[in-house]
Amino acid sequence: MVWSVNRLQSVEAEAPPHTLSDRANRLIDYDFVDSFRRPATQNNWVRDFNPITLLLVLLSISIIAVAVPNLVAPLLACASYVVIAFLARVGKQFVLTYAKLFVVVGLLLFVLRALFIPGKHTLFALGTLKISAEGVTDGLRFALMIMALCGAVALYFALVPMKLLMGALEDRGVSPHATYVILASFQAIVDLSKNTTVVMEAQKSRGIETEGSILNRALAFLPVLTPVLLSSMSSTEERAMALDARAFNASGEHTHLVSLRKVPGSEIAVGCAALLAVLVSIVGRMLSWF
Amino acid sequence: MVLVSLQNVSFTYEYADLPALTNVSLELESGLVYGVVGLNSSGKSTLCSLIRGLIPAFHQGELSGTVTVLGKDLAEWEPADLSRSIGYVFQNPFTQISGIRDTVFEEIALGLENLGVERDEMIERVLEVVEQLGIESIIAKNPNDLSGGQRQKVAFAAIIAMDADFIVIDEPTSQLDPDASDAVFGIIRTLKEQGKSIILVEHKMDLLAEFADRLIVMHEGTVVLEGDVRTVLLSGVLDQVGVPRPEVTELARRLDAIGRPLDTMPITRAEAHEALSRQLMEESYVDHAH
Amino acid sequence: MSITLTNASYSYPDGSLAVESVTLEIRAGERVAIVGQNGAGKTTTAKMLNGLLKPSTGTVEVDGIPTQSSTTATIAQIVGYVFQNPDDQLFGSSVRDELEFLPRRNKWDAATMAERVTRAAELAGITEHLDSNPNDLPFAVRKFVAIGAILVNQCRYVILDEPTAGLDSQGLILLNRLIDVLEAEGVAVVTITHDMRFVAESFSRVVVMAHRQIVADGRAAEVFSDDVVLRTARIKRPEVAQLSRDLNISDRALTIEDVVALLA
Repeated sequence: MVWSVNRLQSVEAEAPPHTLSDRANRLIDYDFVDSFRRPATQNNWVRDFNPITLLLVLLSISIIAVAVPNLVAPLLACASYVVIAFLARVGKQFVLTYAKLFVVVGLLLFVLRALFIPGKHTLFALGTLKISAEGVTDGLRFALMIMALCGAVALYFALVPMKLLMGALEDRGVSPHATYVILASFQAIVDLSKNTTVVMEAQKSRGIETEGSILNRALAFLPVLTPVLLSSMSSTEERAMALDARAFNASGEHTHLVSLRKVPGSEIAVGCAALLAVLVSIVGRMLSWF
Repeated sequence: MVLVSLQNVSFTYEYADLPALTNVSLELESGLVYGVVGLNSSGKSTLCSLIRGLIPAFHQGELSGTVTVLGKDLAEWEPADLSRSIGYVFQNPFTQISGIRDTVFEEIALGLENLGVERDEMIERVLEVVEQLGIESIIAKNPNDLSGGQRQKVAFAAIIAMDADFIVIDEPTSQLDPDASDAVFGIIRTLKEQGKSIILVEHKMDLLAEFADRLIVMHEGTVVLEGDVRTVLLSGVLDQVGVPRPEVTELARRLDAIGRPLDTMPITRAEAHEALSRQLMEESYVDHAH
Repeated sequence: MSITLTNASYSYPDGSLAVESVTLEIRAGERVAIVGQNGAGKTTTAKMLNGLLKPSTGTVEVDGIPTQSSTTATIAQIVGYVFQNPDDQLFGSSVRDELEFLPRRNKWDAATMAERVTRAAELAGITEHLDSNPNDLPFAVRKFVAIGAILVNQCRYVILDEPTAGLDSQGLILLNRLIDVLEAEGVAVVTITHDMRFVAESFSRVVVMAHRQIVADGRAAEVFSDDVVLRTARIKRPEVAQLSRDLNISDRALTIEDVVALLA
């Protein structure tokens, strides 16, 4: 079984009395603080699934989309993502992102495949390029399969905050060092863009032309890129020491402020169903059931 | 109780030509605030890194001599236990934020998680330091969005929450504005009142004169003087090694030089106020007597 | 020859106001310190001086030319800005490369470049480090390398953002010597700083900002004697100046030398 029993939550009927000053009590958002005493929730039944369950489900859908031949499977997969997104109340943002992906990635792939896969039934010709019915079908399926995979990734990030996934992984024994690297990398990307702005300002101010023609911008690339990369690299050592100061390398068991709820039976059932469906589709594909 | 003892300690960084520390011998008592002063590159940071065990764990090089921390030889300390027993606050506010926690509250709790503290106690301890540092209003904010001064307060909070009795603080105010500097020194005063042992590297002599019990003066990798703060500040050694005195002390020395010495050498503004006002009253008395 | 801000305001892209209707003139050869709390608008104002930020309303002119009509890099030949963090600026593999980058890019002739680089290095006190890699040098020295890179342009106006942060007593002496030389050559030096002792000892003119506006602009002695201004801007006097005031020695004394002279 993939799921082990989660760390049991100590149930708090009421929070213990706080011993801080009146001033502090007035300023502190106790709702926020007390939320840590309970398992993390995003106030939506879909999003409250354990991150690993969700991973399994979305992965399963995308595998099925690829394993089962013809167009229906990937189409259904893409549609299911939209449904799940709306159930999770992230429908609008997801649809927007997904639509952009369809245009940028899906359409491009479709056109490339359709144009260059040869076939018997030519639909129409563009000079020496012949577009056949097979090409179109092939292109559609290929594009839809890729969109099924992309959709799973995009939906996952929309549903699950990274920190909860890392927490779920750590609950199952993944080393905190590994989860640190993943989380810190995401943060580093955000920092990089902030840093780039500052560095560009500094370079402009010493006379390095970053505005204007493409040539200028290209020439400015190195003087801007180098300090940005150097500073993110040199800070790595400092960050490692700062983490050490927080006992990151301490032996003994780590506890967690943020906890995930115990995985209910219904979720386990959903996960099993997903696995079963994947099994069926792969076996079916091999035995040519479809 | 002896906090730290160094005997004939020398250290050269791996790729350096010259040693960073040469034949340093020191004995530091617990429960005191030690200020470490000296020009840049005099070895102050190296000394701090060594005491905290960052040398040799993070900085490779040649180390000779004996270092004893809290009664145990440095070589026998488990690196992880060092972080439990000795807090370290670094100079750069930006690299001390872990980058892997979304809120200040969780950021402060990180060290406690690593130490295996139970959730309820964790929450109480975080609330305590939040009150202590006056950061109630930012506990839900993302640490990556804070200003330098705010980040430094959060870094302090995170280290203090780990409740080590011995804290090393390396130039905490060098990138901060006066308000934030005052806040940091307020924190140091509170720690001192709680009986913690503190080693503080600083250039701001005025603030050191108020808070430090003893001073360690470094020059080119050696300790040229260690003693009671008043004795050291009034010693001629400071002139030889380019370390300034508090502004009011310099004023008193200038007055001495022009033949109008004060009756005592002040090291804080309050002392200067008293000494000067005594001298002015004497003079008006003398004037009136004529 | 001056940089003139006339009723200049700056709003961020999201619409919030950073600086409101500022009028300021920096003349060649002046030494001006801009002080005030974080958030008062000091950095935004300074960034309008070199065209890094163009005013949303009002005008900013450098030697008569509005900053709106030029790129920052062009204005940077006349107005040099040294940022607080040198690592945002440095990228060369040697100090010499760093100083020679712009001259080479702009195809100066070798003799001029050599002369200017030598001069800039000497002024910034980094001649001995010309062949070192900036990343191997301590933070304070990197600060001076960044200053050196700006000095190569021989700007008429130089802006220093928190130049004393992280410097020790030797660095401070070097910095003051540098500012003296620049003043003697007719270069205007503008600094944004929190270090009131530095202001008192090295700058004759002080501009105080609070709540996005200039609340005072005058001689240091006058500004520091005005309780209302100091309270509004929430800034403190230098230690010795406060001492002198508390003891009724003088409310104009700012530095140790001032007080000593009065008591002599």
